[in-house]
Amino acid sequence: MYGLEQVIIQFLLNFTSQESINTILNDPRIVAIIIGGLVAASGGLLGVFLKLRHMSLTTDAISHTILLGIVVAFIVMSSILGLEPDLSSPGLILGAALAGVGTVILTELVQRSGLIKGDTALGLVFPLLFAIAVLLVSRFTSNIHLDNDSVIVGEIGVAWANTNTHCYTGCEDVVITPEHPAARVGRVCTNCSPGGINPRSPEAVFTEQCSNCGTYNAAEAWAQGLTDVQPLLVLWPRSITTMGVITLLNVAFILIFYKELKLASFDAALARALGFKPGWLHYTLMILVSITAVGAFDAVGAVLVVAFFIIPPATAYLLTHRLGWMLILSPFLGAISALVGYDLARANLLGWLPFSELIPGLTWNTSISAAMVIAQFIVFLLAWALSPEQGFVAAMLRRQNQRRHFEDQVVMGHILNHQETLEASQELATDTLHQHFRWTPARTQQVLRRLRRLQLIVITQNRVQLTEPGVRAALSFEQTLRTGS
Amino acid sequence: MPDQTPPIALDIEDLTVAYRSQPVVWDLDLHVPPGVLMAIVGPNGAGKSTLIKAALGLVPRAAGSVHFFGKPYDEVRLRVGYVPQRGSVDWDFPTTVLDLTLMGLYGKLGWIRRPGRAEFDRAMHALEQVGLQDFAHRQIGQLSGGQQQRSFIARALVQDADLYFMDEPFAAVDAVTEAAIVNLLQELRSLQRTVIVVHHDLDTVTDYFDHVTLLNVELIASGPTTEAFTEANIRRTYGSRTLKALGVS
Repeated sequence: MYGLEQVIIQFLLNFTSQESINTILNDPRIVAIIIGGLVAASGGLLGVFLKLRHMSLTTDAISHTILLGIVVAFIVMSSILGLEPDLSSPGLILGAALAGVGTVILTELVQRSGLIKGDTALGLVFPLLFAIAVLLVSRFTSNIHLDNDSVIVGEIGVAWANTNTHCYTGCEDVVITPEHPAARVGRVCTNCSPGGINPRSPEAVFTEQCSNCGTYNAAEAWAQGLTDVQPLLVLWPRSITTMGVITLLNVAFILIFYKELKLASFDAALARALGFKPGWLHYTLMILVSITAVGAFDAVGAVLVVAFFIIPPATAYLLTHRLGWMLILSPFLGAISALVGYDLARANLLGWLPFSELIPGLTWNTSISAAMVIAQFIVFLLAWALSPEQGFVAAMLRRQNQRRHFEDQVVMGHILNHQETLEASQELATDTLHQHFRWTPARTQQVLRRLRRLQLIVITQNRVQLTEPGVRAALSFEQTLRTGS
Repeated sequence: MPDQTPPIALDIEDLTVAYRSQPVVWDLDLHVPPGVLMAIVGPNGAGKSTLIKAALGLVPRAAGSVHFFGKPYDEVRLRVGYVPQRGSVDWDFPTTVLDLTLMGLYGKLGWIRRPGRAEFDRAMHALEQVGLQDFAHRQIGQLSGGQQQRSFIARALVQDADLYFMDEPFAAVDAVTEAAIVNLLQELRSLQRTVIVVHHDLDTVTDYFDHVTLLNVELIASGPTTEAFTEANIRRTYGSRTLKALGVS
């Protein structure tokens, strides 16, 4: 990962200066939004297929059980191999991937036993694996950076502070010798001891000692004022690299196997009959879900990461009937929610609407990941209400239009049936018309007003009559009733 | 000297399929000549769908062998088309009727390659054959049940297979759709294709099909409709539960 970061920074330096890179990377808001956006994009992409395969809750299970993989891999790497792994170590990611796939396989085995069905099997397997992980964490890894908070909600702030240092110029280590002008050299008594030889005593022996001699890396040396050469440093948050690579991996997987994923998700039997390997795709998808969940672990935690897999795809599903568009909308909506969510957590929308100041004395410094999830849900609600085809408002308007159209036809049909008959004067009197429909007078008057406005009826001497277009409209409606289309 | 006898389209020997220790298809031998339109009939739970799925390797076989045109399925996948039951998929899936039809060509395309102009044209042609050309760009959930069934058949038609399995294509479709599907099946037969259909309506077997297989866990009878579809065979298939009890216990 370190080498990859170097390549990226080198590339960026072609377009911009090291100062502006650092200004951006030092801004917790931008870094949190980048990381949150990458988590949302990678989760939102895979989530589309999880949603279509009715596997959303499997994500929930995997996001918990990867903890077991992480912990076991951590113990193996630290106590047996003597390494110091962190969450971006390949070993931990491998452990998590194995745990994720293991969860799915175990669940399927339990389901195949026929004794425990459906989601109960999932509910049986994943708390067990999670519980083992929690026991291992508390028993063996008192020094691991995994506490309850980070497991549940994570903290993007930690991800921001967790950086790799890249140095470009002035990177030489600074060696402080006693002769160096910055060396702090003092005389120290070598044979003094309390109750023994006193420093004032003539037997006391002094030597010169340097208290800050040694080798410093460039950044330390500059920070402590030991050198005049300011090193060119870039502090790169590790999560950006990890999540960036994971996002690219997910994008590549879906681009390459788009057709196969679509077929296997829609009709696994046909996929198998045609010789595609739906099982292979299924487990690859589960591995990617596990890897994505690990990458997102320290940023958003095991519980909230589920939202990044489920809410944006569910939102996209309300907005489109096309799989391709779902795959574009879902990560996009997730990333937007990450931006809005950060500002929600800091009560400072888009940097120019500081609504925290509206309530003086209120400090507003809440969990960023939780606020991002709330933002995703707000976007979902908006889509649910406003989606042009499937939205709540559109459906309401449609129903209202249908109701009005039907009322119009009922009234026009009644007039058509009676206007040339002898009882027309009773049947078509405006003040008693409502009795024939068993409607309220107000509702009837409303329909009549509408029909007059449309010039489908005229009212002369307290009698309603169809106009010529009105007759045509009423006849054509009766025609559609008969043909049933 | 070349072999003059046409190869058997579907050759099933000693097939047994079981869910756990319960046999669903028991020791079945079935030989289907090419170019026939065959119904598989039998009561619920007789193993009709299971027979098809076992032949296609979608459920594991406990015993027996299946050959298509003298070869194992793996070697002739693309010559075999499959229309699953309409209820086996989620019709709210975000895809269009045209896209669904194109899926029938995925097998020929193989891994990774995407459908192009030629594939789109073939899919549109198949949609015209089933009368759905005006619905090509609709979301599949907006179709009626009969239209959904026809789109499934269009998907099978683009496969251009030599043998088709269709699992209850007449389930819950109206009379007009049923007649349209029967026409398509007979057209396929006239092109020397073999079509094997899981069917429920005993009244129409003689009208629609030239061959029939009666199945109730065991094979009761199979052959030309005029010979196999006798009252005695039908009674043996549906009437007594003894056969089934034999297979189950």
